[in-house]
Amino acid sequence: MSIRFGRTELPERQARSLRKAIRFEWLSLGFLAVFIALVFLVMGNSQAMKAAWIEDLLSLAPPVAFLLAVRIVNRPPTRKYPYGYHRSVGVAHLVAGVALFAMGAFLIVDSASGLLTAEHPSIGSVQLFGHTVWLGWLMMGVMALSLPLPIYLGRVKMSLAKELHDKVLYADADMNKADWMTAVGTIVGVGGIGVGLWWTDSAAALLIAASILRDGVKNMGAATTDLMDTRATTFDDGKPHPLPARIDGHLRSLPWVREAGSRTRDQGHVLHVESFIVPHDGRVPSLEDLEAARDACIDLDWKVQDLVLVPVAELPREVGGSGSDHQSERNR
Amino acid sequence: MLAAGLLTGCGISLPADPEGTLDRVRDGQLRVGVSTNAPWTETRDGAEPAGIEPDLVREFAATLNADIRWSEGGEEKLVDELERGNLDLVLGGLTKDTPWAEKVAVTAPYAEAPDGHGETHKHVMAAPPGENAFLVELEDFLAQQELRQEVQP
Repeated sequence: MSIRFGRTELPERQARSLRKAIRFEWLSLGFLAVFIALVFLVMGNSQAMKAAWIEDLLSLAPPVAFLLAVRIVNRPPTRKYPYGYHRSVGVAHLVAGVALFAMGAFLIVDSASGLLTAEHPSIGSVQLFGHTVWLGWLMMGVMALSLPLPIYLGRVKMSLAKELHDKVLYADADMNKADWMTAVGTIVGVGGIGVGLWWTDSAAALLIAASILRDGVKNMGAATTDLMDTRATTFDDGKPHPLPARIDGHLRSLPWVREAGSRTRDQGHVLHVESFIVPHDGRVPSLEDLEAARDACIDLDWKVQDLVLVPVAELPREVGGSGSDHQSERNR
Repeated sequence: MLAAGLLTGCGISLPADPEGTLDRVRDGQLRVGVSTNAPWTETRDGAEPAGIEPDLVREFAATLNADIRWSEGGEEKLVDELERGNLDLVLGGLTKDTPWAEKVAVTAPYAEAPDGHGETHKHVMAAPPGENAFLVELEDFLAQQELRQEVQP
C-alpha cells in the first residue's frame, strides 16, 4: 500500500516512518489513558499531582491531533481545497498550543494562590491489604512508574518528526521529553509534604505549570508563524529549511536561467513553492524547458510536489531581487 | 502490586506534621470540638459529649495517652478554630461530601449509614489541614474499628 500526504506519494523510507509514528502515537495514547486513570485514583489533595494529571490530559491532544491529521492530509486536493488538506496539521498544532497555554496559565494562578495563602495540603491514607498506607507513597510510586516510557517515546518521536517534517509530532516529542521533569517535580513535591514541608507541593506544581505554559507559548508561536506563511523552517523551527536554497541553486544552474528565487510555504508536511525565474536576454523559455526544470526540482525531495514556476523580467524583492518591487505590488 | 510491597514497610512513618500536632497530642492534650448531630454526637449540659464519635475519640485519645479537652459549638465556628490550629479534631456527623473539606482535612470514611432520604453517606471526622502524621494516625485507628456494618442509626 502506498501512503500519501495529499498528492505526495511518500518514498518507502518516509512511509515506514509514518507507519511507525502512527503506531507510537497509539502507544502513547494507551500509556496516557492508563496513567491518567492511575494518577486520578491517587491524586488526593496534592496540587502537584493535579498539575501532573492535567498535563497528562493535555498530552492527549498532540497524539490525537497527529492521528486525525494524518487521515485528513491523505486526501488529494479538490476544486474546493485546491491546495490540498496539508494545513490541517497547522490547525491542529495551533489548537494544541492554545490548549497548553490556557491550562498553563490557569495552573500558575491556581498553584500560586495555594502558596500565597499558605494552604497546607492534607494527604491521608488508604487501606491496602489490611495496612494503612500513606497516599503520598502511592503518588510517588505512580509518578516513578510514569518516568521511563515518555523518555523513550519522546526520543523515537523526535527522530520520526525530523524524518517526516511533522511539527505536531515534534511538539509531542518535545512534551514527552519534558514529562520526566513533571514526574520528578511531583515526587519532590509530595515527598516534601511527607517530611512536613507544606509548601513544596505548590512550588512543584508552579514549576510544572510554568513548563506547560512554556510549551504553550512555544507551540502557539510556531503554529501561528507557520499559518502566517513564514519562511519554511526545519521541523524544530531551528533554522531556515535548506530545500528552497537547493531549488534556487538547481534553477540557477540551468543554462537558460539568469536569476532564480523562491517563496516557500510550509503546508505541514510538504512545501508549496513558487519559484521566480529570470531567463537570459528576456527570452521566454519553451514549455519543455519549464517542465523539465519543474520535474527536476520535484525530484530533489519528496517534500516538494506542488511547485509553480513563474518566468519574470525581474526578481521580486522578497525572493532576493535587487529592485524595489514586491510580487504583490506588481500590477499597479 | 509493586507499590504495596515497597510501601507497607514504611507506610506510616513518613508523613510528618508541619505544625507538630501528633507530637503535641501524644502524652498531652487532644482538643476536640463537638457539634450536636445525634446519634453521631450528643452534647448535654454538665456532662461529657456522648455518641458514636465521642466514644471513638475517647478510645483514640487513650491510644495516644492523651487527655481530651472538649468544646462545643456550631460547625462553622469549630471548623474555623480547627483551621486556625486552636482545635485538633471536629466531630459533628460530617460526611465525605462536606464543604468543609476545602478548608480542613477530612479523614477517610470510617462508617457508612443511610440518611433517611434513601441515600447512603460516608462518615468522616475533620482534622487540622496538612497535619498529615496526625491524620494518618487517626485514620489508622479508625480503620481498625470495623464500624462499617454496625452503624444503623
